[in-house]
Amino acid sequence: MSNKNIEEKLSDYIDALNNEHEPEFAVTDSDEELEKLQETVRLVRTLKEPVLPDDDYPKRLAKTVASKIQRGKETGLGKPTKTLSKSIKRILLPMTALAASLLIVVLVNWLGLFNQDVVYAMEKAVAQLSSYHGVLEMRTKNAAGEEWLVRRAEIWSESDKYAIKHDDGTLTVNNGQRKWQVNHENKEVVLLPILPDPTGSSFDLRDEAKRAKQYPHTVIGTELVAGREAIKLAISPPGGEEYYLWVDTETNLPIQLETAMQKALQTTYTFVSFEPNTKIPPEIFAYQVPEGYAVVEKDPGQQVATIEEAAAISGFMPLLPEQAPLRIIAFKDRIVLDYGDTTVMEIIPKGEFKPAPNASLGSAAGGPLEIWYERLRWRQEGLEIQVEGDKRIELAREIAAGLALPDANQDLASKAKVKVPVNMEIVEASQKQVDSGSSPWQLDPLQVSLTFVNLKVTPEGIQGEPQIPMSSFKLVTNNSVEAVVEVEDGPVERVYLKRLVRQDETGIWTVVGYDPR
Amino acid sequence: MITADVYKKAAEGDFDAIEKICLDTWEPLYRFIYYKVQNREEAEDITQETYVKTLKYFHKDKFPQENFLGFLKTVSLNVIRDRWRQKQRRGVSVNLQEINPQEVASDDKQSDIAQRLVLKNALAKLSEEQRIIIDLRIIRGYSVAETAKLVGKTESAVRTAQYRALKTLAQILDDSTERQIGQKRRENIEQ
Repeated sequence: MSNKNIEEKLSDYIDALNNEHEPEFAVTDSDEELEKLQETVRLVRTLKEPVLPDDDYPKRLAKTVASKIQRGKETGLGKPTKTLSKSIKRILLPMTALAASLLIVVLVNWLGLFNQDVVYAMEKAVAQLSSYHGVLEMRTKNAAGEEWLVRRAEIWSESDKYAIKHDDGTLTVNNGQRKWQVNHENKEVVLLPILPDPTGSSFDLRDEAKRAKQYPHTVIGTELVAGREAIKLAISPPGGEEYYLWVDTETNLPIQLETAMQKALQTTYTFVSFEPNTKIPPEIFAYQVPEGYAVVEKDPGQQVATIEEAAAISGFMPLLPEQAPLRIIAFKDRIVLDYGDTTVMEIIPKGEFKPAPNASLGSAAGGPLEIWYERLRWRQEGLEIQVEGDKRIELAREIAAGLALPDANQDLASKAKVKVPVNMEIVEASQKQVDSGSSPWQLDPLQVSLTFVNLKVTPEGIQGEPQIPMSSFKLVTNNSVEAVVEVEDGPVERVYLKRLVRQDETGIWTVVGYDPR
Repeated sequence: MITADVYKKAAEGDFDAIEKICLDTWEPLYRFIYYKVQNREEAEDITQETYVKTLKYFHKDKFPQENFLGFLKTVSLNVIRDRWRQKQRRGVSVNLQEINPQEVASDDKQSDIAQRLVLKNALAKLSEEQRIIIDLRIIRGYSVAETAKLVGKTESAVRTAQYRALKTLAQILDDSTERQIGQKRRENIEQ
């Protein structure tokens, strides 16, 4: 077989897998090389997440299996039968292909071919970006239009290594093997855990290129950013606020990001200087303790290859999701599984499980599940598990199969025996107050209930310690929209609350009803 | 929890029992199969075939309640092996009598993690251009035409480059002492 043939066959094989189809390959004894290369392709693909079937697949599967078993019983057990789905596929596959091509046409028109070119060029540039050195400025603007410099950092980045030097001279380095911080003021080098790593730059070039490709976007025009000509793109994540990204016309790399106005604040990240694909001196990522500096170890953890090694270090066996993590980091008291955009952390818990006051509650492994921003936390089989990141629900369900998220359509408030009238103008003004940083207690349904009930006891105002103490209040439901708090003593038995303005962790709670005792 | 009664009913063709078994176990089984075949179409077919073969095999009072998922995984490996051999025109049928329900692929997770590390190390040894092409074509799933556009090469140059990159990668994996893990996995399917 000539190389040209094998190249084409291999390419067809990759295409079939990319399209999630069964590859047509009739391998003969002389195709050993092709077989080996196909195996290598499959191996590389294991780095990707598997593509799951449609939602109705499990039901369809049960139906087909049942009909085959029943038919098998009629015709005698054990006889092989032909796979039913093949005949269905003959009809379904062309339909799926037609649907897919229609989708492509719609997407191309929607995104606009010109936009695609900008984004393609950016993706190409980012894919080819092996390293960079730059100075990133983070500026914040409030709703009144006042702007200030929050921080300025010098960044060196090369594959998974990075070094960030802040304004105050503090240097944080993660060289893939270890992470540390050099603090010149205290003359110390602090060894930090590699994961979870909250330090990384908030303006990650790769992530931005990925998002720009994924979400609908339009070209706004060309502007000068830090003296460079850049194309301004407006990006609209579904269900989210529009934000802007500027792409350098010379290097095709993103150089500025402006977030949407959130909590009355808007942040702009700008690379005021940027050198892509530059040679970074190896000493930048080399771990060196300056003379006279003390080394402070804060259980930095260590990367291990197997779960058994992790268990030997931490002293317990973690519960594992089905998917294999990219990295396992073991600490004396915890194990962290790294899935790229999501981390799973497991510890042996101490004391009672206390969900964050403004978290919503679901259930997992027969107990409460805390849902707080992008984090899920619960206890199972003597361990406390915390899953944070994009794939949190998927991974958490792989550990706790019956994990249930709260149902926001319960209409709990209608059960209240006494309804409390609400003045929306006051509620909206209170929400704005909280957004600007004052009265944060309104984000906690327990605190709001405490104030409400104690004002019922002492209508003239709460002086000193409240008569009904906080220990009498217990959050029984919080589905992120509504909450119910039970009170042990006093004139009120149950308080019903709602997030009337915003139904996320930043929304304030308002009492809408109660059950008298 | 699937009880012995449910298995018995399922083997007799009871729809509710079969549905319970499928809904409780399909996802880990499907993921396991997908991991081996790397495409949805084949993974869906093999998952289905695995249930049919397993349930048909069950005789009265002979159900692997201890590790049903492990049993399913072992059957699925046989189905995969059988299908691949048929493609090589050397049809061999699955012999379910040979399956020992206790002997299951329970060490998958550890070897998967190790395999990922070996693969990542091997990919890191490729040239930058080879790594980009493998990333675009296989990890991100771009077509040859799209990849050619992204890297500024002709389509035929992309095909040649991906062939060479995969050949180098296969060689690196072969040379790696840790290749044993990949080897073990391949033997699981091909033996």
